[in-house]
Amino acid sequence: MTQGIGITVEAVIERALAAYAALAEVGEEIDDEWSYIQDLSEAWRDRLEAVAAARGSETVDPSIDDAIERAIDEIGGIEDPHRAIDWLSTFPQVTLLALGERP
Amino acid sequence: MRFQDAARDGRAVVYAGIQADPLVARAADALADAARDERILARAVMNGGSTDPTHWMAMFPALFGPAADAAARARSEAVLAVSLEVADRGDAARSQFRGAIVEELTARLLARRVGPAAVRRERRILFDGVRAEIHPYDVTVERDGDAEAYDCKWGARGIGADVLHQLDDARVHAVDEETALRVALVVFDAERSCAVRLARSTAPSAGTTIVALETLDGLATVR
Repeated sequence: MTQGIGITVEAVIERALAAYAALAEVGEEIDDEWSYIQDLSEAWRDRLEAVAAARGSETVDPSIDDAIERAIDEIGGIEDPHRAIDWLSTFPQVTLLALGERP
Repeated sequence: MRFQDAARDGRAVVYAGIQADPLVARAADALADAARDERILARAVMNGGSTDPTHWMAMFPALFGPAADAAARARSEAVLAVSLEVADRGDAARSQFRGAIVEELTARLLARRVGPAAVRRERRILFDGVRAEIHPYDVTVERDGDAEAYDCKWGARGIGADVLHQLDDARVHAVDEETALRVALVVFDAERSCAVRLARSTAPSAGTTIVALETLDGLATVR
């Protein structure tokens, strides 16, 4: 796990978004859902970026950094594209809750 | 308009076994009393790869951290425990369990508003002169002059043309018969994801209420 000392909201969201982009690539193996995946990813990315814009310089508690790192670990192990699509909705919700935000 | 038990084919018989599993009832019990964040926990765990409770407790610091009050923490622990049981059933079974849990949760929340006797499962809706749909509705509320039909989905991806057409067809046929029928799709997923899915659909949805994870409690309080 990363050390939370001095970690900002912007930094954890940047990490989360990088992991999220990789998750979307796994989901894209389902050709029929390609457009949905693009729209879904954009909607949640916009939400997370809005939080980063509003609170980016704020330092997060180590427990929050750890929570988001665990969520990143969780999606990093996903190989099944169907599960990936499910997590394209779930992962941003978990991340936002960890940051104390409404999904 | 009238309601009828659905005929059971082989697949329905197998699924009925899942619906009757005590784990489904326990999960629905826990989720009926859960708050939004605890339901998101359930969604994550039942979708997840890890069956280590400490992993999930660390992922949800607001639910399991020192700031959580005792009652909320007890609820979260109950949700986590039952969600891990579902996850532990394996990939093949868990999707069926998740679907059955959303249906049972819907039925329980509706029963708080209309009473359990009015809530039925796996029912077809018949209209005069209209060929009946093959697939039954997951949950119905059947009261004189006041009926409701619900289909249930685990995720926003489940919002498809077939289910939207089926719900809207029933609503339109009820209007034709000058009968009240509320139709809704219950989705155990975020409103934002549901909105994205709906935006891509060309199927009729204006007359169908979407009940998302954030608004589930409205089933128990609002018609």
